[in-house]
Amino acid sequence: MRALRSMRGPRRREFLIGGSAAMLAILANGKVALSDEASSQIASSEINAWVRIAIDDTVTVKVPATEMGQGVMTALPLILAEELDADWSKIQIEPVTHDPGTFGNPKLGGRLYTAGSTSVEGYFDIMRKAGATVRRVLIYTAARHWSVNPADLETAPGVIVERSGGRKLRFGQIAALPTLVTDVPEITEADLKPRTVYRLIGSDVSRLDVPAKTRGSQVYSIDVRLPDMVHAAVQRAPVEGEMPVSVADERAKALSGVVAVVRLPDAVAVVAERWDTAVEARDLLDVEWTTNSPFRMADSAADLAENLQAAGDVERRGVVWVQRGDALGELSKETKLIEADYSTEHVYHAQMEPLAVVVAVDADGKGAEVWIGTQSQSVVLSVGSQVLGTSSDRIRCHPMLMGGGFGRRTVFAREHLRDALLISRAVKRPVKLMWTREDDVKQGWFRPATAHKLRAALDTNGRVVAWHHRVACPSVLAVEAPEALARAADKDNLVMGGTDAAPYAVANILAEHIITPRRSRLASWRGIGHGHNRFVSECFIDELAVVAKSDPIGFRRRLLGESPRAHALLDKVLAISQFGIAPKGRAHGFALGPLRSSLAAGVAEISLDRATGVIRVHRFWAAVDAGLPVQPRNLIAQIEGGIIFGLSAALSERITIQKGEVQQSNFYDYQFLRMSEAPEIHVEIVPSDASPTGAGELGVPMTGAAVANAFYALTGTRLRHMPFDPERVKAVLNG
Amino acid sequence: MRSLVINDVQVAVDAPETTPLLWVLRDYLGLTGTKFGCGVAMCGACTVHIDGNAERSCVTPVGDVQGKKITTIEGLSRTGDHPLQKAWIDEQVPQCGYCQSGQIMQAAALLLKVKAPTREQIIEHMDGNLCRCGTYGRIIRAVERVVGGGGL
Repeated sequence: MRALRSMRGPRRREFLIGGSAAMLAILANGKVALSDEASSQIASSEINAWVRIAIDDTVTVKVPATEMGQGVMTALPLILAEELDADWSKIQIEPVTHDPGTFGNPKLGGRLYTAGSTSVEGYFDIMRKAGATVRRVLIYTAARHWSVNPADLETAPGVIVERSGGRKLRFGQIAALPTLVTDVPEITEADLKPRTVYRLIGSDVSRLDVPAKTRGSQVYSIDVRLPDMVHAAVQRAPVEGEMPVSVADERAKALSGVVAVVRLPDAVAVVAERWDTAVEARDLLDVEWTTNSPFRMADSAADLAENLQAAGDVERRGVVWVQRGDALGELSKETKLIEADYSTEHVYHAQMEPLAVVVAVDADGKGAEVWIGTQSQSVVLSVGSQVLGTSSDRIRCHPMLMGGGFGRRTVFAREHLRDALLISRAVKRPVKLMWTREDDVKQGWFRPATAHKLRAALDTNGRVVAWHHRVACPSVLAVEAPEALARAADKDNLVMGGTDAAPYAVANILAEHIITPRRSRLASWRGIGHGHNRFVSECFIDELAVVAKSDPIGFRRRLLGESPRAHALLDKVLAISQFGIAPKGRAHGFALGPLRSSLAAGVAEISLDRATGVIRVHRFWAAVDAGLPVQPRNLIAQIEGGIIFGLSAALSERITIQKGEVQQSNFYDYQFLRMSEAPEIHVEIVPSDASPTGAGELGVPMTGAAVANAFYALTGTRLRHMPFDPERVKAVLNG
Repeated sequence: MRSLVINDVQVAVDAPETTPLLWVLRDYLGLTGTKFGCGVAMCGACTVHIDGNAERSCVTPVGDVQGKKITTIEGLSRTGDHPLQKAWIDEQVPQCGYCQSGQIMQAAALLLKVKAPTREQIIEHMDGNLCRCGTYGRIIRAVERVVGGGGL
């Protein structure tokens, strides 16, 4: 196993004296320190790739996943500290900046990539074994020091203890010994702690990043300031694929403090000593753009109509995502056939920190230091080396905490980094490039608008014998990783995830993707395919229940068959919501929200103002099973946030595109849920024996269907097109 | 040179009078705890106190605040232990954290004026502050925790 090999014994055995290049360090007691202070002058010992122990007992843990608010910067070191038996108050973290070979996430092809709710799942075994290996090195070293058998030693938090004699050595004291015993037996599964003795995992420690985030002292990439740094504001092409033809920049250059105007492949940048000058001058640029990009054809309304037609053309075969049995055969029999069209529209990530990056290109133009809030160090290294025509070791990446990610800061965030590298190289100074909110909206990469045709066949007992889910939209994977799409024979997990009808047991199923031409910028968005697909499938299940003359819960129970985890979630959420007993004028809707190996079930309680068409979600209950909860309180917080995120998209969010240009600009015309619109949320964790699985996105998939199904319960009318904004609601009510 | 009183310290900045206070704080003075979210007073990430009132610094020209008392998140308490900051930790409010300086400053302005606001008053007062991570419920609980403990 690759990751284990790298853990066998120390890669380096040396004392690091103030040599750490960590950008920032966060101590478990909540203190934040910049690198120079953090590494101080304290000698420390690198035990393996993941852990360094200082003679003052500080245990520094490398964290490969990046923090966007999901709590991973606490969860991963916590898992390692559990097996190391570390004193949590002595834990300090250091972001992994490079070396995917050692630190990459096996769930994401070994890349340094934080996406798809895979960090805890992907690193759970790695962090446990790394921690256990370090513990064993400390035990063996202490045993040699005392000339005793390692089996006679045990650990208490932060200390090696001799069972009989009672002698003790703190971890820091062992790190100070001249040499470590590194040739220790490899850790096997049997060496790891049973869950019953966990004292950190499942214990709700405070998140390490929270104190700084209450004091305004957390540094995001937008906050980084370097000596001699200039600021850049860019005017990017209004439509993808266009380039500047001519640039009139006299008025911009006339402003005091403007350093340069830099022409880029598809943008023009103004560089100034101050940001306020840069952005003012940027708006004075008069740029003529080419007008021949094929993306000028993008028209979100027309494109969605075209996709709905493609989805509805059931004779047209798509790329098969899932096929079991003979769904088409069953559907062609004269059993009861039910069908419906659904759609979703483009939505924007709207992370609160607009994209920003600080770049200092080296004097020779062949290397750079980069401070960036990113979901992928691998992407930063690859973009950096490509743009500068250099090797990736010349790109020194500081992954900064992100002011929100939600899929925005993955491979879909390349332009601002590329522009900043070119600008810094051109002006030979460090540069901070920031997007305004308008830039961030208009240059966004969006969850695709999707068109769906759902078909099912019911037998005379009202059981689902065939399920057919057709999705028509462009490929998102073709944008993210064209080579991966080719390898997968056009199977696009970013679009099609969640169309497998699981966990329902249906004998005959076909899910297919009709790949249509891409005209707008498309990306993954919190929940990825499950975000749109579970809305569709969980609404359609409700429709089938009505046709089968069943209730939505009983109908699902029968379809779930032998799925104890799902039944347990239903039991829990029905109990806490008192499902079906809504106050007068309100109604409940249920939806299941599976996300790969994790499972959620939710109930929305809504009311409707028929005059205005405004749906109000008053309360939302959820039960979740993400396997072993590593930080239960944070798991609940993630679900709460996911529910709000999902409801916001369901109720109001929409990006529209005309002639290739995004029509929205800022939070006045792209509105997401505010406090007064947010429901009271109640989340319960249903314990399960499974390994920990994804939670960051798990709140999202169930939300849209829960609201739409509640709307049906209230009005007898279906909402099949998202978002359920007031105009659409009124139109649906008026037939 | 323009003279300002920020967090009880008198400072001089050489900024045009139309420059938004936000950029004076962040770029001229290095007080980066106040955040840029939208630039048009739609999100509240840039909220500071001007003479005790919560204001959006992104649309406040620096020329308008001379002689007024400006407080940023860095000046809310000397050691970061303002009752709201402690409550924010107790309730584990922040996720990405980017909007939270503005949220705390907005909440602090309410509690300066209303000792024991109701839940409805809290929501009405906080409604201009967006949080994309969806921490609204925890923000309400954190403010209520301070109110329950006797206010500021």
